[in-house]
Amino acid sequence: MGFGTTLSRAVAVDAIPGALILAAIVALPCLALAALASGATLLTATNFLVMLVAVLGISIFSGNSGIMSFGNVAFMAIGAQVSASLTLPVAIKTANLPLLPGFIHALQLDLWSAAIIAMLVVTVLAYLSGLAITRMAVTSASIATLGFLIIVNSVIVGAQGFTRGSQAMYGVPKLVTLPIAVLLAVIAIAVARLYRESTAGLRLRAGRDNEAAARACGIDVAQQRLNAWVTGALLSGLAGVMFAHVLTVFSAKEFYFDLTFSLIAMLVVGGLASVTGAVAGAIVVTMLIEILRRLENGFALGPIEVPQFFGLTEIGLSLAILAILYSGQNGLLGFREIEAFLPAAWRVRRKAVALTAATTAHRGVEALQVAGVSKSYGGLRAVDNVSLTLRRGEIVGLIGPNGSGKTSLLGCIAGTHLPSSGRISMDTRDITGLPPQMIARLGLGRSFQTVRLFSNLRVRENVMAALAEAEPGFSLRQLAANSNAILAEMGIAQLAEQSAGTLAYGQQRRVEIARAIALAPAFLLLDEPTAGMNDAETAVILDILKRLVKDKNIGLLIVDHDMKLIMSLCDRILVLNKGLLIAAGSPLEIQESRDVQEAYLGRRHARRAGQIDRP
Amino acid sequence: MIKTFLKASVGALAISLTIGTAAMAEDSFKLGYLGGLTGYLAPYDQPSLDGVQFGVDEINAAGGIQGKMKIELLSRDMRSETAEAAVMAQELVSEGVNFLIVPCDVDPAIAAGQIAAAAGIPAMSSCASTPTLPGIVGEFMFSNYTADNLQAAALANHAIEQGHKNALVMLSKDTPYTQKLPEYFSQAFQAKGGTVAGVLEYKMGQQDFAVEVTKIKAITPAPDVIMTSAYEPDFPAFIKALRAAGVTAPVLGSDGIDSPTTMALGDVAEGVVFSNAGFVVEGSPLAKFYADFKAAKGKEPETVFVATGYDIIKLLDAAVGASGGKIDGKSLRDAVDGLENVNVSTGTMTFKGMNRVPLRTVALNKVTGGAKTFVKQVTLAPADVPPAQ
Repeated sequence: MGFGTTLSRAVAVDAIPGALILAAIVALPCLALAALASGATLLTATNFLVMLVAVLGISIFSGNSGIMSFGNVAFMAIGAQVSASLTLPVAIKTANLPLLPGFIHALQLDLWSAAIIAMLVVTVLAYLSGLAITRMAVTSASIATLGFLIIVNSVIVGAQGFTRGSQAMYGVPKLVTLPIAVLLAVIAIAVARLYRESTAGLRLRAGRDNEAAARACGIDVAQQRLNAWVTGALLSGLAGVMFAHVLTVFSAKEFYFDLTFSLIAMLVVGGLASVTGAVAGAIVVTMLIEILRRLENGFALGPIEVPQFFGLTEIGLSLAILAILYSGQNGLLGFREIEAFLPAAWRVRRKAVALTAATTAHRGVEALQVAGVSKSYGGLRAVDNVSLTLRRGEIVGLIGPNGSGKTSLLGCIAGTHLPSSGRISMDTRDITGLPPQMIARLGLGRSFQTVRLFSNLRVRENVMAALAEAEPGFSLRQLAANSNAILAEMGIAQLAEQSAGTLAYGQQRRVEIARAIALAPAFLLLDEPTAGMNDAETAVILDILKRLVKDKNIGLLIVDHDMKLIMSLCDRILVLNKGLLIAAGSPLEIQESRDVQEAYLGRRHARRAGQIDRP
Repeated sequence: MIKTFLKASVGALAISLTIGTAAMAEDSFKLGYLGGLTGYLAPYDQPSLDGVQFGVDEINAAGGIQGKMKIELLSRDMRSETAEAAVMAQELVSEGVNFLIVPCDVDPAIAAGQIAAAAGIPAMSSCASTPTLPGIVGEFMFSNYTADNLQAAALANHAIEQGHKNALVMLSKDTPYTQKLPEYFSQAFQAKGGTVAGVLEYKMGQQDFAVEVTKIKAITPAPDVIMTSAYEPDFPAFIKALRAAGVTAPVLGSDGIDSPTTMALGDVAEGVVFSNAGFVVEGSPLAKFYADFKAAKGKEPETVFVATGYDIIKLLDAAVGASGGKIDGKSLRDAVDGLENVNVSTGTMTFKGMNRVPLRTVALNKVTGGAKTFVKQVTLAPADVPPAQ
């Protein structure tokens, strides 16, 4: 895979115009101020840009992963401390940071060298901390980032001599001017936006919307979180470098809870999940503060003189945040990016790319073997010594009363549940107990009993997320084209641009199937794909499934309660009751089986059902 | 109070990022007050502003500075944020303040002070107590409040006078105040011939002082006196553990424990001596200030920061007198730097020869029967004060 391919996967070319417009919205007024205004206004604008970069750092991780990070300010602290230690004049450094090695005392670097070194340090620390944090569950990870903030703060305070301890770092040269801050802010906006739209960002957002479904598509959610944690940390570190070289004085307590909550407030106001939201939040909060703080000093409202009232700024900000939270809109922008506000004529037409042939076909694999699999939850045996074989090209139905263990069995096969005993293999390859994303990559697709779409992504993006795993070599445009084709196969091509969460139930089910087949799987496990559908919809699904199995040589294991569907679709049927496989055979055999009737109807009713048949 | 005609010229309902300069009378003195009136600095900067405001009202009622120059007070809330301090300092400088009072903490004081200094305007932190502050910013930066090394020296002198020879010092590296003040005490105490039996470190908020107390008990010979700058909640936890362990050595503290919490500690705090900026001795200038303030505002000042804020106006009055009425930046700066034995509410203040950290009267207080009682007022000799580090 060449660099060009990696680049075309990473760089969402179609998102560049939007990113540029967003950057222009920020940069042009600031540059105008740089030329026209002076003194305090310049400082306000520069401070705003520093906060913007900091907010974007949090947004890259939290917005895309859904994990609120309280720890990015720690990277600001590290960025500030390391870069300032390198740019400080020699005399001050030697006096104030006596324990630093001599060669660092002698160094006085320029801004860019210091920034690069600081960001290297941040990268290492982000990677190490991220290894732990990104493997945790969502809420634990969030608390862990808080712990990280506290730990970094304590280390900086405790390392007096290498740092200033709790005292102020001062005398840092004022190297970041407003034009430089504008440049860095533009770069930050570009990085944040392009990350979000890249395949990495896409897969991470899929993991945010539904972690289990993302794994079922082969996405390594922890890895994607780690990517975002490091990338966000880099921007936060950059913000710290800017902070130190704008204010020229700081101490450990500047990079702690107060700053963290100020930044999070901006994200909450603007919208956590979009880059435009982060920018909007920063702008709105800054403007609100600038207006309110001037009103604090008292003003004349016609004949009425309003007296000085300190605290108005804090109150006003808090009310604004409460109002946004109360509205429940996920911030001013929600999940929308700036393209949603551009007139239609401005929007970039996605350049159509020809379909690319799929490379993964799992050609070698022939059969999925389940041997003696059991799953116990405490004393309850949900799956009891079940064995089955699924071959490519055949359709096997799995039926049984509620609670008979069908979903648990599917879970064991797909890797979301760990079997208590038994073995699952694809041909000779043992896949028992492998994580779901690995099993998905080996050629097993699945859908879930309840619809688990990536509801905040577009329909096409749902499929692209899965396809990105299956085809590492495809560019974003290729992914988009092929995803459209898959949606067309499912008869829902016209829904491609819609947000997946807004679809009707039947359409959502089809998207799920589309997503599962994007993996070009050898085997497909569908859990009640037609639940809640009417006859017409069910018939459509029936046709689609038959066609898929035939065209793509997929081995399909389908769980459903719709007997008509099962009987007409399946080559073979397996029946579970209370975890045990009680019957296996052709549809006709199953229909006539006494055991099956007993299982569904109970012994007394089964006897009566049998009696009804007699004349 | 509605002194809004002063502020109304600044704020308007326009969404504007520039501030217009207000046209003011020629012979008025523009005093800028920049403080954290909300946020973590509020307990320090709010009372300081109250004191400054009271002083301005008082002096303007009598005609102004030196009887003829009224003070126009421009106060701003920087919300305890350093970046905001820099912006507002720039704005106040652009509005032509003659003197800028900056917040009570090092970071924002430096940020604001540097901007004032660059414009040639003298700045003074209303109650930052770190003695290195003026040196960091330069010759246009002054301190006001009783510096850490001053309090430490007063405590050390007292300890020596009480016959203590061997001291145990407990500090925390978490803040400059809790670290440096005890270090200055060690220096001053040893300079007067005392010895330091040991230096213990604690972490602020650690709640449990069993380890430290055990170490103290283990020291032989037992220390004559224990000194710390810990304040609530650490100090109450410490003193309770100390007395419960049977350690009876006298304890010295600093102005951090000048609070009702300490008085409410009961027997364990009995006899604790601590330094602060002033004690309201009957008939003293401070008592008069408290009475005047109560008459005007309806209640007494709640903390001594009100008094030290008020003192700044006294300083300005004396400085303008010394400069012969000149209020340009350089003249004013030189005048303040040369002030000697100015009478302020808390005693006297001298800047001359002190590198812009004033020599102030330090009060020593004792906890007696749950109340704060007066021990004495200390005017140090400059040589007794350990150098700022």
